[in-house]
Amino acid sequence: MSDFKFPEGKEVPRGAVLPAPVKENRMMITGNWRTDRPVIDHEKCTLCLNCFIYCPDACWHLDEEEEKMVWNADFCKGCLICAVECPAFALTAVNELEFEDGVVRLEKPF
Amino acid sequence: MGEVYEVTIWARGVTQDMEGRHLSLLIANSADKDGKFVQAWDDYADLPDRVQVPLRKYARISDEDLEMRYDYENDHPNMSVIMDDTIVKGINVLRGMPKGGVLVVNTKRSPEEILKFIPNKDLLDAIVCVDANSIAGAVDLDFMGSEGGVETVSVGAGISAPIVGAAAKATDRLTLESLVAVAANKDGVKKGYETAQVKSL
Repeated sequence: MSDFKFPEGKEVPRGAVLPAPVKENRMMITGNWRTDRPVIDHEKCTLCLNCFIYCPDACWHLDEEEEKMVWNADFCKGCLICAVECPAFALTAVNELEFEDGVVRLEKPF
Repeated sequence: MGEVYEVTIWARGVTQDMEGRHLSLLIANSADKDGKFVQAWDDYADLPDRVQVPLRKYARISDEDLEMRYDYENDHPNMSVIMDDTIVKGINVLRGMPKGGVLVVNTKRSPEEILKFIPNKDLLDAIVCVDANSIAGAVDLDFMGSEGGVETVSVGAGISAPIVGAAAKATDRLTLESLVAVAANKDGVKKGYETAQVKSL
């Protein structure tokens, strides 16, 4: 809870205040659960947003300016539900060690 | 209490929970056969019931009686065993390791490819790579004994046998004879010992 500021001058019950995961909860990075990552082929992608809907961790979002799907490496657990649900077969599973990037090396697991 | 040889095992939750515990049991049981004082345990802090979460199992070997009974983590592991190679990207697997440690990785890749993902490799004396998944056959997805840890009949039937055989190649704390004696898959231990790629640093 180091990077969370407790509301000053406000009395709350114990355990009642948590930072809302509105954007990214940096305290619970789950990218190191991943063994295979979904790799998108932008040529095949039809922007149907199935991956965005089915992803349990909201790791896919639409970049409206570039008009392509963007993947979040820090929180993707590699469940590959997106690759199964993709109707255009634009997503393929590739082993994580094929890539240099996507390193989320935690000092302590939890 | 004399010098303690600490082993930390990194596995992935649920699917490798049992194999990870078997690996720590094999290390402890074989060293026990050699007349050493041993401990082997796993703690619940790493959420082992979540699929693919990285989790730890531990073992300790010493020539004298172990007095560390309430330290539930190995703070200075001399050996780190990685049961799934992708863990090196998610965890600093050499955390707390004193200089001259050993890293054992279950992978089909070469030691050089794994070393690319180890930023603090100057701590290592040797890295051992073994393809335990193909030696042991199908990747073990049996959940038998994933709770409780009371099952002792088939300890070392899956991927833990080749990995512990490979670990014996890099350290003199483990002897191949005792490992073969305690493991269920005896050919797997020998094959792991023979096919392991050791790279000294």
